[in-house]
Amino acid sequence: MLRSLTTVLFAATLLLFARGTAKFSTPQSGVPNARAPEASSSTPGSPLSTRVVAYTIDAKLNTTSHSIDATETLVYKNLTGQPQQSFPFHLYMNAFQPQSTLMTEVRMSGARGVGSDSGWNEKNRGSISVTKLEVEGSGDLTDRMQFIQPDDHNTNDRTVFQVTLPKPVAPGASVEFHMTFHDQLPEVLYRTGYKRDFYMIGQWFPKVGVWWKNAWNCHQFHADSEFFADFGTFDVDVTVPQNEILGAGGDLVSSVNNPDGTKSAKFHSEDVHDFSWTASPDYTVVEDSWTGSAGPVKLHVLMSPGHMASAPRYVQALKGTLAWYDKNIGPYPYDRITVVDPAHGAFNAGGMEYPTLITAGTTWYLPKGVLAPEDVVNHEFGHQYWYGMVATNEFEDAWLDEGINSYVEAKSMAALYGENTSIVNLPFATASNAQLLRIEYISLADTDPITRFSWKFISDNAYGGVTYGKTATVLLTLEKVVGEQTMLAALHEYFLRYRFKHPTGEDFLKTIEDVSHQDLKWYFDQAVYGTNILDYDIWDAHSDRLNWWEKQIPRKKSADEIYRTYVTVHRKGDFIFPVDLLVKFEDGSTTTEHWDGRDRWVRYTYDRKSKVASAQIDPGNKIMLDRNFFNNSYVVDGDKRAVRKLENIWVFASEWISQFLAWVS
Amino acid sequence: MSSAVRPKTFASGAGLVWRWQRILWWVFIVNLVLAHFAIRGLVDRVSPTLVHSSASQRLVNGFDLTAVMELAVQPDAPLETPGPVVFHYSVIFAIFMIFSTGGILATYVFDAKPTTTAFFEACGHHFWRFVRLLVYMALAFIPIGILIAICSAIHNSIDDKSNSSYPAAYFAGASSFLILLLLMVLRLWFDMAQVIAVAEDETRMHRALRGAASLLNHNFGSLFWLYLRISLLAWIFCGLGLYLWMYQLSPLSITTAFLLTQLMLIFWIATRLWQRAGEALWYRQYQAAIVTEPTYSPSPAPVPVPYSTAMN
Repeated sequence: MLRSLTTVLFAATLLLFARGTAKFSTPQSGVPNARAPEASSSTPGSPLSTRVVAYTIDAKLNTTSHSIDATETLVYKNLTGQPQQSFPFHLYMNAFQPQSTLMTEVRMSGARGVGSDSGWNEKNRGSISVTKLEVEGSGDLTDRMQFIQPDDHNTNDRTVFQVTLPKPVAPGASVEFHMTFHDQLPEVLYRTGYKRDFYMIGQWFPKVGVWWKNAWNCHQFHADSEFFADFGTFDVDVTVPQNEILGAGGDLVSSVNNPDGTKSAKFHSEDVHDFSWTASPDYTVVEDSWTGSAGPVKLHVLMSPGHMASAPRYVQALKGTLAWYDKNIGPYPYDRITVVDPAHGAFNAGGMEYPTLITAGTTWYLPKGVLAPEDVVNHEFGHQYWYGMVATNEFEDAWLDEGINSYVEAKSMAALYGENTSIVNLPFATASNAQLLRIEYISLADTDPITRFSWKFISDNAYGGVTYGKTATVLLTLEKVVGEQTMLAALHEYFLRYRFKHPTGEDFLKTIEDVSHQDLKWYFDQAVYGTNILDYDIWDAHSDRLNWWEKQIPRKKSADEIYRTYVTVHRKGDFIFPVDLLVKFEDGSTTTEHWDGRDRWVRYTYDRKSKVASAQIDPGNKIMLDRNFFNNSYVVDGDKRAVRKLENIWVFASEWISQFLAWVS
Repeated sequence: MSSAVRPKTFASGAGLVWRWQRILWWVFIVNLVLAHFAIRGLVDRVSPTLVHSSASQRLVNGFDLTAVMELAVQPDAPLETPGPVVFHYSVIFAIFMIFSTGGILATYVFDAKPTTTAFFEACGHHFWRFVRLLVYMALAFIPIGILIAICSAIHNSIDDKSNSSYPAAYFAGASSFLILLLLMVLRLWFDMAQVIAVAEDETRMHRALRGAASLLNHNFGSLFWLYLRISLLAWIFCGLGLYLWMYQLSPLSITTAFLLTQLMLIFWIATRLWQRAGEALWYRQYQAAIVTEPTYSPSPAPVPVPYSTAMN
């Protein structure tokens, strides 16, 4: 009753707060949207990244047919160090067809909330067709476009095409592609599409692959993979009906109303590797700002109808996360961040990251104690660092963006919302973000190594559990080895070294070793490259009278009795990890042992005037990789309260099911 | 019923439940014992994991949801879902209630202390009749099921077309409330048929249902209001109990929590019996008031009515 009242008051306050905000801040033409951060090696005003690509796109949205007609000019600068004649391009939108590789994989094991038993819905069909491709100096090469399937040879998959130029592009030279293309948007699926009059437009234009590790890297679109692209600039002109409210991953340069009832908005973005945008006539715009070490950042939150109660939660989470990153990882160099709240029924567009634009997700009934809106904003904003700036290959090294980001999410959510209450904070139940990530890992602990290519996991659940959950848990456990502050320092260093670059897994692991001054191969071999299971348990803990063969000494002399205590620690899994053992005795004395864990078990023996009270491995539960915390300790005097509490809940539930059946019969 | 006859069944019904509270305690005890049997296996599996582990304190000093999840995802699954076993024991309870309803209603209709033998005679005497009524009830559920399907389709359509989640949520709330009321009317109807079956020793359940429908048709307002008031009390009390349990009780108050939850259940059972007693009382008073002008003529009783001695 009281909580309901609080929620109503909260929503009312929010409506007052949101009322009357401008749709967009006044555009400042010519002002770059990325600044040279103070800690950067770049000189002020110089590009933050090595700009390989420059896209200029002119797109017109048709809200009747849910399609886009566009022209694209791509200037590609050949910095590969060798002549390039063939260029691969992504056509992600073609994945939304029943025989595509993505849909085949979804049908096999499901992904991103779409079950493997889901039938095909024609509304979900999406496509992109390049109707014309010209190359400056080479003429029309449309006929030379050829679909390729580098990953699985599925000839029905048309998410990558390649074009071979008549003559190679010399190292250091640029080549200019002109394309005309048409997007048929799906009803929201896999982050993109429409739902009624809501549009989230991501991965929508022909996008060139990345020359990486001395080869073109341009994978097909998979169910469990995200993206990889080069940095550059984007100048995008979007034409939409005049009633549409726009949001985009770039600065609004100009907006002009056209005589035909449309408007054309021009956006500019630089030192980013992707461009996404959104449109809906129903958005309520909430604006705010935050100032960090690199200067002020404008916060634009585009709220969908019915979700306004979550707007202040988004803003608060965003500000808290910005501050946490600014303090611990590094400066946020862009002058804006846009949060898109997907429309009702477009949940699949939520929880996604694009440079300077993220999509969140909420519902109308979420109580304040369930921190899902905060968590999704925290996580997706984190991707501005791990994916946005530290632009790893999400196809091949998904753990470097999702995993590191999940680890930082656990740390920052704990700092912002409490160690044990960072995802659920209700009066009657709590849950921590870090523990939730650990649970994801426990359930599928040994199916795949972290380093597996994203689409090669045994299942979608394994991809999620290992890439997000296990990586975060591996890094949380690593704190036990190198220390929490060292881990944060390593992440800070990794960010500074590799922002606006494409680092590999080895780069990340080496940075940790460099900062910690430790050889961690033993750990990485098991935790990162292996599928070893970490599980220690107390095999036995008991005390026996030393002179057991003699009759029991009367009570009055028992103070002189010597007991022999045995504590046996067992390594159940194949993951070798040094552990601490805390043994407590009935007289309150304690002793701590350190075991390297190399053997299968170890037994400690003590002769004392007191019996053992408890034995516990890893007393602080710092070894998060341990699959089972419940067998890490043995308390001689058992405590049945937890069982009674669970029993109470189950009995109550069982009684009510009985009552229900009796009522209907 | 003539306007002059308005039995005070609300308070008197509660008095009947109070007077024959042994019924309440027995129903409660059987429910509790069966629930304990249902979850015994689960408790036995989870006890070795929790009792001697300091990690169980995550469930003692609060309620850490991830601790429950951790138990559930372990390879040896100490927290395996007890769903099927719980359902089986719930079916046993439902059968027990069908069986005991004859004795319960006889006690309320005749308002006389039954001997144990007489009580169980009444139970056995009416059991198969009530099983037949259950079959009729299953048939009556079909249109309600169709209504639920229609409401669900409308809800999905609104949900799909609306830019906000509120219209669909409002529709879901309103339609659920309507369906709940319809279910309550259905329950009221079949409860009345059971009362007629016991009071008049009616053997043919279709006649009892027809008679109950006729009574309900002419006295819907008073009977439904009787049921609704008692239901509202039950919902308010249980809501309050849940609120206290979840928001006010200390996580360490495990015994208090148990007592509170059982108190909620006792009150729930009491209100259900109150509805039955109120209806039985209403019928008794109604029959007495319209003895010269009956609207329902029961068929001749083939066997003697139980409790005849007590009635005298």
